[in-house]
Amino acid sequence: MKIPYYPGCTLYTKAKPLNDSLHASFRQLGVELNELAHWYCCGTTFTLARDNRMSLIAPVRILAKAQEEGDQLIVPCSVCYNTLKRANYILKEDTETLDIINEHLEESYNVKEEVVHPIEFLVKNEQLVKDNIKKNLAGMKLGCYYGCLLLRPQEELQFDDPESPSIFENLVRLLGATPVDFPLKVECCGSYLVVNSPDAAVEASYKLLRNARGNGAEALVTSCPLCHYNLDALQAKMKQAHSDFQELPVFYFSQLLAIALGVEENYVGLEQNKVSPKTVLKEHNLL
Amino acid sequence: MNTKVLTNPRFIKKIEEISEQKISDCYQCGRCTAGCPFARYMDVPPSQVIRFIQLGLKDEVEKAQGPWFCAACLVCQTRCPRGVDIPRLMEAVRVLHLRAKEGLLDVETINKDLLMDAPPLAIMSAFSKFTY
Repeated sequence: MKIPYYPGCTLYTKAKPLNDSLHASFRQLGVELNELAHWYCCGTTFTLARDNRMSLIAPVRILAKAQEEGDQLIVPCSVCYNTLKRANYILKEDTETLDIINEHLEESYNVKEEVVHPIEFLVKNEQLVKDNIKKNLAGMKLGCYYGCLLLRPQEELQFDDPESPSIFENLVRLLGATPVDFPLKVECCGSYLVVNSPDAAVEASYKLLRNARGNGAEALVTSCPLCHYNLDALQAKMKQAHSDFQELPVFYFSQLLAIALGVEENYVGLEQNKVSPKTVLKEHNLL
Repeated sequence: MNTKVLTNPRFIKKIEEISEQKISDCYQCGRCTAGCPFARYMDVPPSQVIRFIQLGLKDEVEKAQGPWFCAACLVCQTRCPRGVDIPRLMEAVRVLHLRAKEGLLDVETINKDLLMDAPPLAIMSAFSKFTY
């Protein structure tokens, strides 16, 4: 099976482990993620100004390219997923804006493309995942961190309940691990505030990690490269600011999927995690 | 007794146009501020920014630093009992400022280590929110 795939800018650079482990895992499942031949930046964070039509152009061009390849587009980055899916929703409702944008583009978008997150695909194809598991993650206690962009706004994304989601936990259970619930799993990590107010991101992420650890998590799992940066790379700063802080490894969901499916280690990219997850993996005989 | 009536219909209309929200829908329950992860950094929190807009206090809104600490996480949008999309109002305040004046972010002022280490989408997102 071949499915159109949109990686986005960060998956070729800082979030390479997410890209590599996802490709390798899906190959193991017999699914080829077919990267769009031509793609652009999605524009990153979605504009909230209703009079800004310019920012819809990048998502529309990506979706128009995708519709030539198939009716579903797999998008693993939470930021891209949010932006593409919100643009899609708005243009379905607002045909006047769609017509104006289509008039100015070489492409013409029919608003029929469905934006799908790999977690949605995996949970929907539960049996396929189960049949291919080589190393059960049994005993691993994982905090599933959703962040903001997969969940909100719910009416547009329809990913899961925004206050009490469970799809991520279902994936982790499929891999044999034990999900650990923690109240801050849907709270913001500080997002792009890290650029101009780094302390706000350090503090928000510190609270999250402490909350996950306090509820028994041995590691955190996420899908967003920006959350991953704040939660993983900023731990050095958290240590400086809080003497009680204890490190917690942060995985991309696809890294754990790859380990469970027995993917070769060089596709998992564990050495790129700032806080090494190797100790916790060794404790569970997964490395 | 002198009662000064504060209204600034042009300002209110502009905010309502950009956000497509009806500012009078807010009944000031404060739930947005209560749940905001970044309210502790804000001189004027979201519910107060909205109150200032309702009263047409354009200068107060422009001076407030609160909207610039909003990370558009949308927790308040999920919880507002009146269905007000508060992040759209914060964006309208930011956009009004950015369209009229200079951007608030200069690549020269960003920490160099962060510029090298952070994912490109962090930098791009910040520029899309703090410049125009």
